[in-house]
Amino acid sequence: MVSAPVSVEEQMAQLRASFALRLPGRVDEIASAWRAIAQNAWNAENAKRFHRLTHSLAGAAATFGFAALSQVARQLELYVEPFVPAQMPLTPEQRATIEQKLAALASPQLQSPTAVVENSARTAGRPAGDHANRRLLLLTQGSAMDRLIAQIGFFDYQVQLVNTWEELTQEYHRALPAAILVDADLYATRGKLDAYRVAPGDSAPRPPVIFFSAHGDLSARLTSVRAGADAYFTKPVNLSRLVDKLDLLSSHQAPDPYRILVVEDDEDLAEFYAMTLRQAGMEINCVSDPNLVLQQLMDWKPDLILMDLYMPHCSGLELATVIRQQEAYVSIPIVYLSAETRIEKQLAAMSQGGDDFLTKPIQPEHLISSVTARAQRSHALRSLILRDSLTGLLNHTAIKGQLESEIVRATRNHSALSYVMLDIDNFKRVNDTYGHPTGDSVLKTLARLLQQRLRKTDIIGRYGGEEFAIILPEATAPQAQEILNEVRSRFSYIRQQSSKEDFQVTLSAGVAAFPAFADAKSLSGAADQALYQAKHRGRNQIALA
Amino acid sequence: MTPDLKRILMVEDDPDIQTVAQFALEAVGGFNVQVCGDGKRALEQTLAFQPDLILLDVMMPGMDGPAVLKALRANSQMSGTPIIFMTAKVQPQEVAHYKELGALEVISKPFDPMLLSDMIHQIWEQKYG
Repeated sequence: MVSAPVSVEEQMAQLRASFALRLPGRVDEIASAWRAIAQNAWNAENAKRFHRLTHSLAGAAATFGFAALSQVARQLELYVEPFVPAQMPLTPEQRATIEQKLAALASPQLQSPTAVVENSARTAGRPAGDHANRRLLLLTQGSAMDRLIAQIGFFDYQVQLVNTWEELTQEYHRALPAAILVDADLYATRGKLDAYRVAPGDSAPRPPVIFFSAHGDLSARLTSVRAGADAYFTKPVNLSRLVDKLDLLSSHQAPDPYRILVVEDDEDLAEFYAMTLRQAGMEINCVSDPNLVLQQLMDWKPDLILMDLYMPHCSGLELATVIRQQEAYVSIPIVYLSAETRIEKQLAAMSQGGDDFLTKPIQPEHLISSVTARAQRSHALRSLILRDSLTGLLNHTAIKGQLESEIVRATRNHSALSYVMLDIDNFKRVNDTYGHPTGDSVLKTLARLLQQRLRKTDIIGRYGGEEFAIILPEATAPQAQEILNEVRSRFSYIRQQSSKEDFQVTLSAGVAAFPAFADAKSLSGAADQALYQAKHRGRNQIALA
Repeated sequence: MTPDLKRILMVEDDPDIQTVAQFALEAVGGFNVQVCGDGKRALEQTLAFQPDLILLDVMMPGMDGPAVLKALRANSQMSGTPIIFMTAKVQPQEVAHYKELGALEVISKPFDPMLLSDMIHQIWEQKYG
C-alpha cells in the first residue's frame, strides 16, 4: 500500500512533537548542571555549562514554538549570566531564585507549544487541575520558606511572596488567590484576616487561610482559630500534607457530580427528571431505548439508574435483571419510578433488583433527596470496594477489570489505547532507610502527582506495593510515553520528606499500546516487559514495548 | 550575475535546531544542506562540501562563531565563502561589528524555520542581485 506524501507542515509538526518528547530530558540536563554547581564550590566550568544549557534551551524552545518556555529559560539565562565570570558563591536568596526558575522550567504548561495545535489525545481530557486558580499568597520574611516555595511548584501552585499585611492586601485585591499562607511566628494575626472576608452577596468564596508556626501548643492554635485561619501547620511544614490541605480547601476540588442514568420512554417526564436533578448539581443522561442502557453503563459509568417500571418493549424489571446479571453492576442502585400504586407490584420490583420505588407523580424535592441519598451511599461503597485505601486509586482487581472494559470500548470505537506499568525505583530501600510511614507518604505523593498530571479520562490504579498501572484511552504509545515522561521528570525533582532527611526518588515505566497488543493479557505482559527493560537500562525512564 | 546558492553548511551546536533547520531549508528552500556542531568540523566540512554559504552560530562551546570566521578567512581555500551569523543578541552595534569581521549579514535567533529559506534568498538577492 502506498501512503500519501506527507506535507511539509505535517513533517514540521512531527519534528515539533519529537522535540516536545526531548524537552523533559533537556530540562533534566539543566537541573543536573545546577546540582553540580550547588553541591560543589562555584566552578567556572560548571557555571559556563549551566549558562550555555539555559541559553540553548531558550533558543531551541523558541525555534519550535514553545514561546513561554523559551521566556522562562531566557530569564534564567539572564539571571545567571552575571555570576558566570565571577568567583563569588551565591547567596541563599540567589540559589532559591534559581531553584524557583528551574521548577518553573519543569512545568508541563510551558512544555505545551503555544503556536501549535495540540494533538487530540491531549485535548480529549485535560489534567485535573488545569484551569483552576493555583496562585498562593505567602506572607513571610527571609529565606526560611524558600525551599517550600520551590518544591510546591511541582504540584502546580505558584507562590507570590509578600512581606507586609499591606502588600498582602494589595496582591489580594489585584488577583484573588487560591489560598493565603501566613508565617504566624513573624506577624501578629489578630483581626488581620477580617480584610479578607468576602462581602455578602459575593459569589466567590473567601480563599482559605493557612497558618505556619513553630508552636503547636493550644494557645497558639486558639489564636489562629480566633483570627479566622482555616488550617494550621507546625514547622517544618510537611509539603505533602500542605498540598493535600490546599487541594481540599480550594474550591476547585469539589467532588465529582453524581451521574444519574434516566431510563424513561416518556420524553417530557425524562426532561423533567433531568432538569430537576441537574439543578441539584447532578449529571444526567437520558435513554428511552432500553437497548442503549448496557452501553451507557459501560461507557458513562453512572452512579445510579432511575428507571421507569413499564416501558413499551421491555419492562423495567426485566431490564434490572439483565443489568444485575453482570457482576460489575450487581450493586449499582436502581430506583424505580412508576405510577404503580399496588403494593405487591412495588415489592416485586424491589425484590427483583430494585433499591427503591418512587411513585409518580413525584415532587422535585423528594426525587432529589431519594436519588442523592442512594447515589451518595453507592459512591462511598463503590470506593471502598474499588479503591486502595492509602492512595485512593483503583485497586488491583478494579484496574484489571477496567482494562478489560476499556479494550472492549477501544475495539468498538476503533480507537487507540495505551497501558502503562509503573514502578518506583529502589522502593524497598526507601522503606528500609526511612521507615514504612515515609514509604507510604512517597506512594501518596506519586498518586497525587499522577492524578494531577494525567487527563481526566485516564484511569489510574495501584497495582501492588510500589507498582502502579495506568490506562490511557485514545492515546498512542508515543503519546502515552510523552505524558508519562513528564510525570517521571516531575517526580524525580520532588524532595520527599522524612524525619531523618530529605531525599529524592525516581520511577520507571513500560508502555504498551492497543491494537498492537490486542487483549488485556498481551497488553499487560508487554507493558511489564517494557518496564523490566526500563529498569534494566538504568531506571528513571519510560520504555516502549 | 547572481552566483548560485545551492549548497549551505549550517554550523549550530544545538542538535534540535540542526534537525529542524536542515529539514526546513531542504524542504522549503530546496537547498542541499549539511550540518555540523562545532568550529573544527566546520572547517573540515567547508573544505569537503564546498558550500556556497555558511550559516554560523555565534555562541558555541569551544570555537565560537567569530573564531570560526577568523579561521576561515585565514585559509585561502575557504576565505571567499560568504557567511551569515545567527545570534540571539542583535544590538545594532553588534551587527555592525560582525559585518566588520566579514559576515554578509546577521540573522537573529530564534528564527522561524519555515521562513528561514526566504530570509536567506532575500539576503542573497540584496548582495548579489
